[in-house]
Amino acid sequence: MLRLFASHHGEPTFARGGIHPDEHKELSADHAIEPFVPRSVTVPVSQSLGAPSVPVVKKGDRVVRGQLIASDEAGGVPVHAPVSGIVKSVDRGIHPVLVLDMAITIEAREQEDEPTFQEQPGWETLPREELLERIRVAGVVGLGGATFPTYRKLMLPDDAEVDTLIINGSECEPYLTCDYRLMLEQAEAVVLGAWLIAKIIGVPRCLIGIEDNKADAGAAMTAAIERLALDRSDHPVAMEVVVTQTKYPQGSEKQLIQALTGRLVPQRGLPMQVGIVVQNVATAFACLEAVRNRKPVIERVVTVSGRGIHEPKNLRVPVGTMIQPIIEACGGFDDEVVKVLAGGPMMGRALADLNAPVTKGTSGLLFLTRAETNLDRYQPCIGCGECLDVCPLGLEPNKVSQYVEVGRALETEEFGPLECFECGCCSYSCPSNRPLVQFMQVAKAAYRHEAAKQRTHA
Amino acid sequence: MSMPEPHLYLSTGPHIRRGRTTADIMWLVNLSLAPALLWAVLVFGWPVLGITLSAIAGCALAEHLACKVRGTDSTVYDGSVVCTGLLLAYTLPPGIPLWMPFVGGALGVFFAKTVFGGLGYNIFNVALVGRAIMMATFPVEMTTTWLTPGFGQIGGVDALSGATPLVSLTGGPEAVEAAIVGLPEGMSEGLAFLLGLRPGSVGEVSVLMIVAGAGFLLWQKIIKLTIPLSVLGGALLMSPWSPDPVLYMLSGGLWLGAFFMATDYVTSPSTLKGQIVFGVGIGLLTGMIRNWGGYPEGICYAILLMNTMTPALEEWFRPPRTAPKGTPS
Repeated sequence: MLRLFASHHGEPTFARGGIHPDEHKELSADHAIEPFVPRSVTVPVSQSLGAPSVPVVKKGDRVVRGQLIASDEAGGVPVHAPVSGIVKSVDRGIHPVLVLDMAITIEAREQEDEPTFQEQPGWETLPREELLERIRVAGVVGLGGATFPTYRKLMLPDDAEVDTLIINGSECEPYLTCDYRLMLEQAEAVVLGAWLIAKIIGVPRCLIGIEDNKADAGAAMTAAIERLALDRSDHPVAMEVVVTQTKYPQGSEKQLIQALTGRLVPQRGLPMQVGIVVQNVATAFACLEAVRNRKPVIERVVTVSGRGIHEPKNLRVPVGTMIQPIIEACGGFDDEVVKVLAGGPMMGRALADLNAPVTKGTSGLLFLTRAETNLDRYQPCIGCGECLDVCPLGLEPNKVSQYVEVGRALETEEFGPLECFECGCCSYSCPSNRPLVQFMQVAKAAYRHEAAKQRTHA
Repeated sequence: MSMPEPHLYLSTGPHIRRGRTTADIMWLVNLSLAPALLWAVLVFGWPVLGITLSAIAGCALAEHLACKVRGTDSTVYDGSVVCTGLLLAYTLPPGIPLWMPFVGGALGVFFAKTVFGGLGYNIFNVALVGRAIMMATFPVEMTTTWLTPGFGQIGGVDALSGATPLVSLTGGPEAVEAAIVGLPEGMSEGLAFLLGLRPGSVGEVSVLMIVAGAGFLLWQKIIKLTIPLSVLGGALLMSPWSPDPVLYMLSGGLWLGAFFMATDYVTSPSTLKGQIVFGVGIGLLTGMIRNWGGYPEGICYAILLMNTMTPALEEWFRPPRTAPKGTPS
């Protein structure tokens, strides 16, 4: 269709689909990051996409902050003690995404020999292999929520032709403000982290994508870029903040790449195929700490928000901090709360039990009241085509849902369930409130099941 | 510190929704149909209100009973069945006996909607099936109970002897001339048709009022221009074969059908190209029926015929993917 008002203010965005949900960021946006130290932590050993890590401590062990407690020898990423103390148990516990997982519980006790993670001189000039190794041993994963091991994303194959690093400061999920606060308060560290990543992957250009509802964060980052003048460093990188329109899901890799460079990552392909690597701002910050301070990922900023929590905040908490003490630190919640989410309201997970810990991938804890969430029943598809209009990939959620409803999930491949990244624009917009993402998941599961069956028969 | 024990709900994301429900959409469509009804009352008098209420009552009763039989909550309040009643009434002659729209509405909803499974599952436009049933059941009343328009003479309009302008189109220019009655003195034929000061069905005489309502729906992003423009474009392609192209384009239910019936979500394709083919098909069929068929009005059957094509059109014309196909890795 002819687009008469394709862009406002001439700011870039992805070409197709997307939605404008209420932001609710004002609840927590002006609250500076506060540290919070709990009395104990329960650290799940699965902290990344893929295999779990293997515990290397046992009950009764004394650990210091930053000490390795689970190794990546069988996959996963190294996991470190977020606080000093005594290991109380190595047992199964609740995981916000995986439901149940092996977890290491540490009772916090200050130790005299705690590392202070001072800046290590000469870090800027370390060879690429050493930089990568420091990122690996620090257990850095994609902190935007995907938790893909960062060193693996940065270890590009020899034939990869990558020319641009994109740093993702979009934070397009409603409510979440952890990346926004980080960019405001730690702009220089984020920019340095970005430069470091650019150096590792050997690119001369870095674009930092920030939505126009966070213009002050964009200004802070631009000022940091000017102060640091990394275009005149030993690995010169031309860095630029690109302010985009505010449109969900701008922070999705493929959409952000299109918004900033106009390049289209092929269906089910990787950003690398169009010469790009994308990293989240918090990941860039973590990479810098891993290299400069040899500090592993043992804490993260979590936005605690929603109309149901009394004092919304941005807290820096140790990984493994349980949700209950965080609720107490935020003044408790009222009994209107009907949903508690780990992550944002579009792609976050609903928690069944508050007896769960924060992981490296937990960007937010949202306490949603009935008025702000959706518990409505769903109705038949009326064929309005809204889902087709808002899908950023051009998939057909309506068709997938209709086929799945009548038990024909294995006839839906052409409608795109296997490409769907579950951004949720379709479900959000559906006037009949159809759980279209869930239908997509059912279709995906059917294909996975079918593939497994094929393998066992082969 | 004691903590409330919340009852937590679980689901996959997203956990928020835009908030515009199917019922919201249907009631907004009903609201957008108000200007045309208001106009009809002004030019044809109070009886048109009775016709409208009668049609809505018939539709609502059939829907309500179907829900009772099925053992589900009544869906009368979702606005969809009211919309059907409104649209059916708008296609009827303003002098029709008041009980007939009730029968037409009830039969239309029963045969075109409830037997298919209710909202979302029907193949044909429900209001138009109601009209088609009425054409077969009450052929005389459906074609002879026209009223002479009289702006502001509420309750004082006369029955019209003879055919409507559209019916007379096939009879040549003199017949058309004779059929155009009640036009204000000195007003051109085109303007009278645009404003709606001419004989015709309840809700379709005023192109202006229909476009006003459609404008509201466009502004609310409930409909897009794709289908209406395609319908009008398709009809325009057939206009050279009409004895009076201006009258042909401005009369009958063309505009009501283009903006309010062809755009029915359930019975029209949801992909861009599918919608264009669907709309143009309706326009062409309308023109063919009017110019060469034995039937003065074409839009009703044109839409019903193209409704049958909707599933195929959605199958043939798919939305394009944003990204190119991936290379196997």
